[in-house]
Amino acid sequence: MQNIWKILRITILASTFLTFTILVLFPTIFLASFPLIYIDDIRYEVFENPLIGSENLRLIIEVLTFSFKLSASTVLVDILLGIPLAFILARGNFPGKLLLETLVTLPLVMPTSGFGFASLLTWTTVSGVGKWFGLSRGILSITSNLPFIDVPIIIFIVHVSLTLPYIVRTVQAKLVEVDIVYEDASRTLGATSLTTFRKILMPELLPAIFSGSVLAFARSLGETGATIIVAGVRLTAAVAVVKWEFEFKLGAAAFLGLILVLITWLIILPAELFLTSAKGGIVKPPSLISGTIVERALIKLEAKFSKRIFKNILHGVCVALLLVLVIVPIVVVVESVFSYMFKDPYTGKTEGSVIYQLFGPANYLPIMLRSTAVSFASAFTSTYISVFLSIPLVYIIDRYRVGRILRALLKVPLVIPSSALGLSVLLFWGPKFLGLLTPSIWLIILTQIVFSVPVIVETTMAVYEGSNIKLYEDAAKTLGANPYHVVEKISLPILKEGIITGAILSFTHSLGETGAAMIVMGADIPISVLVVNMVESLAIPAALFTSAYLIIISTIMIVVFRIVSGRRRI
Amino acid sequence: MPEVKLVDVTKRFGDVHALRGVSLTVKDGEYVCILGPSGCGKSTLLRIIAGLLQPDSGSIYIDGRDVTYKPPEERQVGFVFQNIALFPHMDSWSNVTYGPVVKCMDRDTAYKAVRELMVILNIAKYSGLYPYELSGGIAQMIAIVRALATGAKLLLLDEPLGALDPRVRVNLKYELRRMVKDLNLTAIHVTHNQEEALTVADRIVVMRSGIVEGFDTPENLYWRPKNLFIADFIGKVNIMRGVISRVIGEKVLISLTNGQLVELHAEGFSEGDSVVLAIRPENFEFSSDDVMQDISLTGVVARVRFMGEYYRYDVRTEAGETIIVNYPVGGDVKKLGEKVRIWFNPETVLIYPYPEKGIEKELMVEI
Ligand SMILES: Nc1ncnc2c1ncn2[C@@H]1O[C@H](COP(=O)(O)OP(=O)(O)O)[C@@H](O)[C@H]1O
Ligand SMILES: [Mg+2]
Repeated sequence: MQNIWKILRITILASTFLTFTILVLFPTIFLASFPLIYIDDIRYEVFENPLIGSENLRLIIEVLTFSFKLSASTVLVDILLGIPLAFILARGNFPGKLLLETLVTLPLVMPTSGFGFASLLTWTTVSGVGKWFGLSRGILSITSNLPFIDVPIIIFIVHVSLTLPYIVRTVQAKLVEVDIVYEDASRTLGATSLTTFRKILMPELLPAIFSGSVLAFARSLGETGATIIVAGVRLTAAVAVVKWEFEFKLGAAAFLGLILVLITWLIILPAELFLTSAKGGIVKPPSLISGTIVERALIKLEAKFSKRIFKNILHGVCVALLLVLVIVPIVVVVESVFSYMFKDPYTGKTEGSVIYQLFGPANYLPIMLRSTAVSFASAFTSTYISVFLSIPLVYIIDRYRVGRILRALLKVPLVIPSSALGLSVLLFWGPKFLGLLTPSIWLIILTQIVFSVPVIVETTMAVYEGSNIKLYEDAAKTLGANPYHVVEKISLPILKEGIITGAILSFTHSLGETGAAMIVMGADIPISVLVVNMVESLAIPAALFTSAYLIIISTIMIVVFRIVSGRRRI
Repeated sequence: MPEVKLVDVTKRFGDVHALRGVSLTVKDGEYVCILGPSGCGKSTLLRIIAGLLQPDSGSIYIDGRDVTYKPPEERQVGFVFQNIALFPHMDSWSNVTYGPVVKCMDRDTAYKAVRELMVILNIAKYSGLYPYELSGGIAQMIAIVRALATGAKLLLLDEPLGALDPRVRVNLKYELRRMVKDLNLTAIHVTHNQEEALTVADRIVVMRSGIVEGFDTPENLYWRPKNLFIADFIGKVNIMRGVISRVIGEKVLISLTNGQLVELHAEGFSEGDSVVLAIRPENFEFSSDDVMQDISLTGVVARVRFMGEYYRYDVRTEAGETIIVNYPVGGDVKKLGEKVRIWFNPETVLIYPYPEKGIEKELMVEI
């Protein structure tokens, strides 16, 4: 009897490990081997093209520089905006707090292409807020740049909206964990609220701000779905990977993808090391200015700005900006669907109406329905497979040495640009290497598995580590339960919450993902990509309808998500 | 210097009335304990004094100055927390000098005063250690020095001994009182521990459900409690019901429920009033013969507990009541099931009108 269970266990674990290696690990790291295998392609396309010389290399450097400026400024604003918001959510107690919290999270689950289109409409066209101010154009032009850094404002604000949740959530989580008593102590000792923030909270929050920034930076660097819609002629690195793949410049695309992955790694790796070394211990930043004249001046300044009125203004501004960035585009897109329903409100032509584009000669409805089917079928299948792969993986990660390496490797698909990931999957399964699959829904599913498994493993691990599961399992064993019963009656029910949360997150992620899907989809166009195609073919009313529809689906999803994870507030 | 005056302070958290109109004045140089069961609003009161919470209504005066709307950093109070709350990323020295630093005080004078205080308390040797390297008692002493480092003359302590080992607790308790007196401070010390309050306080505020039930010296609260709740809350009482059957000058004749008559000194009652007699367990005696027949009860020992300096007997009377009797070690020990006769000295009896809400309601710690 003992032996049978042992064999069963080994079989399950070994097969899981094998499947994981083939489905997740190899496709993730395949891109890294690309330069070795296709060194000639790269040299030909990037460095020594007989026609254009190293023009592609120049382009690569250009898009990388642009992406860096964009992501760095995004993260900077994320921090400035995100810390006060995290404060409001962690320390505040007001009606509507749950709503605000949901709002902050919304961009995480919203299909980015839909959101990108909504933002484009809102800020750069007459259908957006321009109309509210009586303008006959948008309040921004698609080429309006931020001063000094030459980054289009529209791309910048979309990136801020999409990456803000990473800072807010990590800082908020840390703040909730920090006992408010330290702030109280500091106040009674005579420190104003800003001085308290600097001297008492900052040391505690630094790791959280740091890891949130790293996530936000990685996300911004890799964002494709919204960027491709709002970018106009500008190319970010992640978008360039997609575009070049379309133009069959595979060597250049792969080379750029690889650089992106390496950069992401260079950022993530030190961050991981720093965080794991600080974990458990206490960060003791040296207080260089403590007690000096500089600090005295600083304290006086902080005292001036610690007045309640300044705090209220700061909080008000941050909340207002969040509302403007997230809610206004949603309102505009929904409102526009109605005003474009039967005719174009500006030209009066029925050809420009939602109804005409969906049911008329363009006949977008069946296309949309098919895309919906592709999206849901692929998201469901990949989530389903990922769940069954993730549960034994959690076990492996916890019980075996290789677990820690596995866990670190699993971070890769979470942070590398999705277009690079899509390219890697395509190269691995596709004609260039294994030759098993061509771009289609099957490749979409395989790609989604690659980033779904890490999500589910992480949320399940979080529950696993937060519970005394081993204790309960041992208790059940001493009571004579066989391994099957232990798993069914003890382990799974405890882990259920993490698994469900992970499944919902990976489902929404799969549904909204654009960058990788564009590369691997072939003729099976998922709904998130359909929005991009519609915008590119200027079928605006159809794009409007599809965006509104995506936004509504994701809003429903986040409500469900809230209800499911209500107790733990992930 | 500091005198603390609260006028009709109220505070609500949603449906919870944490404070329902608290008024009291703590005199300069006094050591006052706020005593009450968990959740009665003690911490809320203290935090309102410190400015960590805003009252819904009412005013707070420190030293005659209205500080109701002043933030904590402008109130000059020292606050000591139950869970100690030393800043984890700073060593002891940085912790104790935090106040002078953020208040931009003159470094030399402030540091000198802090160092002296640490030497007096014998904790100077822990200066370089981080909070996680300190024992609870030492850490709390550091926290007390930190609270006083800016020269605060008003010390607010929220269950300062609550997180400590019992032995450390006793030592630190007396240390605290001596320090407060030596340094001429005013202290308001919150605790739910009766003994702690009785032994250190000049005066005790007894709180229940956001209301001040009494504010007096420990002796008065114990021997002359103003109402039945305080009598029972401070040191337990046995309760008997009765009716005033006659008023004779300064004395009243009370007929107990079991029919016995007791004559006591009492004022303000008239014939026919329902009353409650409260008698402390140590005020009962076992009688060997027939002395004082009229106020003795007979019963059976239902439980015996050895309490160290005395025995505690539960005596079940013929009427079915249980009377608790504390009897010093040294006399003969009663055995379980033994028939005994107990009596009490009428001089020690506390007498109150029968509470309108009933006895049980009157004694409940939460209302
Ligand atoms: N921040 C708060 N939010 C909601 N309820 C609170 C808060 N602080 C205290 N309370 C409630 O107010 C009452 C009094 O609390 P507290 O002053 O902490 O009592 P004590 O210190 O006497 O134990 C309790 O019922 C408590 O639950
Ligand atoms: Mg308390």
